[in-house]
Amino acid sequence: MTDTSSDLPPFVRTWPQLYAIVIGALVAEIFLFYGLMVWFS
Amino acid sequence: MSGLDWGVLLVTLLAVIIYGVIRSRGSRSMDDYLLAGQSLPWYHVGLSVMATQASAVTFLSAPGQGFTDGMRFVQFYFGLPLAMVVLSVTFVPIFHRLKVFTAYEFLENRFDTRVRTLTAGLFLLQRGLSTGLSIYAPAIVLSTLLGWNIYITNLIMGSIVLIYTVLGGTKAISHTHLQQMAVVTLGMALAGYLTVRMLPDNVGFVDALHVAGKAGRMNLIDLQFDPNSRYNIWSGLIGGFFLQLSYFGTDQSQVGRYLTGNSIGQSRLGLLMNGLLKVPMQFLIVLVGVLVFVFYQFNPSPLFFNQQETERLEQSPYAREYQLAQIKHQNLSAQRQRAVMDMQVALQADDEAAQEAAATMLRETDESLKAVKADVVGLIRKNNPVADTNDVNYIFLRFVLDYLPHGLIGLIIAVIFVASMGSIAAAYNSLASTTVVDVYRQLMKGESDAHYVQVSRWATIGWGIFCVIVALFANQFGSLIEAVNILGSLFYGVILGVFVVAFYVKSIGGRATFWAAVVAEGLVILSWYLNLTAFLWLNVIGCLAVVGIAWVLQKLFAR
Repeated sequence: MTDTSSDLPPFVRTWPQLYAIVIGALVAEIFLFYGLMVWFS
Repeated sequence: MSGLDWGVLLVTLLAVIIYGVIRSRGSRSMDDYLLAGQSLPWYHVGLSVMATQASAVTFLSAPGQGFTDGMRFVQFYFGLPLAMVVLSVTFVPIFHRLKVFTAYEFLENRFDTRVRTLTAGLFLLQRGLSTGLSIYAPAIVLSTLLGWNIYITNLIMGSIVLIYTVLGGTKAISHTHLQQMAVVTLGMALAGYLTVRMLPDNVGFVDALHVAGKAGRMNLIDLQFDPNSRYNIWSGLIGGFFLQLSYFGTDQSQVGRYLTGNSIGQSRLGLLMNGLLKVPMQFLIVLVGVLVFVFYQFNPSPLFFNQQETERLEQSPYAREYQLAQIKHQNLSAQRQRAVMDMQVALQADDEAAQEAAATMLRETDESLKAVKADVVGLIRKNNPVADTNDVNYIFLRFVLDYLPHGLIGLIIAVIFVASMGSIAAAYNSLASTTVVDVYRQLMKGESDAHYVQVSRWATIGWGIFCVIVALFANQFGSLIEAVNILGSLFYGVILGVFVVAFYVKSIGGRATFWAAVVAEGLVILSWYLNLTAFLWLNVIGCLAVVGIAWVLQKLFAR
């Protein structure tokens, strides 16, 4: 059982890049939710 | 339920069970039975992790929370993506490299047998009880709404899953999780779509969200820091992070899922997939509840969604008071329909003053309706002090039964069953593996692999019986999704604290950690008993207390 870079999806080169995408998606969702809340209130 | 509904329900359940049994062949070694031979790709791992967390409670309670409390429940999941990243960096490589069957095996390597056994014991207690709740939650709702006997429903919920869990172990569980997620996604997507379709002709999806927003249900983000508020961005990010980290990092029902990945990378990808999809998924599930709320703004709604309790009230000395409350409710419902129609006209005309007037009327009517409902809840309680006065878990299914077309009703009931089966199967498997690997194998060393697999099968059956018994006695937990999370929060923080010390504070030994965990567990239970803070913060308190007390004890013991 080895950890190889071949496990990474093609759109990233390193694991930290993938972590950044996950955290970035959360931040984007929070902003989106805030926007939805303001728009619909 | 019509014949079509029964057909859809039975075919779906049979398909899952037969598929699980077929997939169960060939699990003869411990590695196969408990870890599926560590052979699964990332999407298997990711979907299995998601299916394990999404129990039937998720699909009953979350839309109910959206209906009564709005979208703010989504914030509860904000800590999850962060926890997935920390797990991918720290926990996954360590568990994989040590080739452990359970998370608690690692604790013996790091500390001693005592810490391993204590932590495994806390897990078994917490998971055994909460699995009982996971069986009871959908069983009670289905029994009430469909008139099924609660004991039979509990037995069906808790026992059919045993067939493929006992036979096939982790491999069967992970494969059935894929099917289960497909059924759940299809069912919820159709329910959400049809709810919007059933709104009046001139009300579209965006209009529905405007109405929800004016009625205070689009409260997605609460920036205020209030330790006693259950759902705000801070409790979600900080408390939720600790809860999810301990759930996914130290609860064997989840560790057992991602250890099935065929490499560290595949396990990581599965967890990160969960990190990306979980918040949008919960958003959509709670949104279905908000859409149901909007639907009931345009249509008459039940005064109380648990009809069994209102029927009892009709036969009681409080029947007259209940009738008066019903008349008030009907008048207020009609008033609410007028207000929401005015709102709709104002929104289309872009008339802000009229929108504000309608919104004020809507909020005032909503408050009056809540007051009438509170009076009826008081009557229900007076009539029967042990009655179930929380109808949150009944809202979504009541709506499904009253308004969705036949066939889809069967599919939604199937969603409740298969979601339940997915999380219960993972729980049974984790309880059995922890019992055998962390307790039995310590006492009966040197037996063959086949012997331990056989004992694992018996342990699965034993835990299945225990959980069904808990389900038979479970009662009076309010919103069940909260009850499950509160129960988890009582233990997860302490278990996480033990793992944090193990991973990050190398200078602290087993003796200090053991006693710190015992004292911290007492503190957490005391904090909960005295109602000192909202439950999500118990995870933070438990974890920090273990680390802090262990550090102090280590200094004292070193002298």
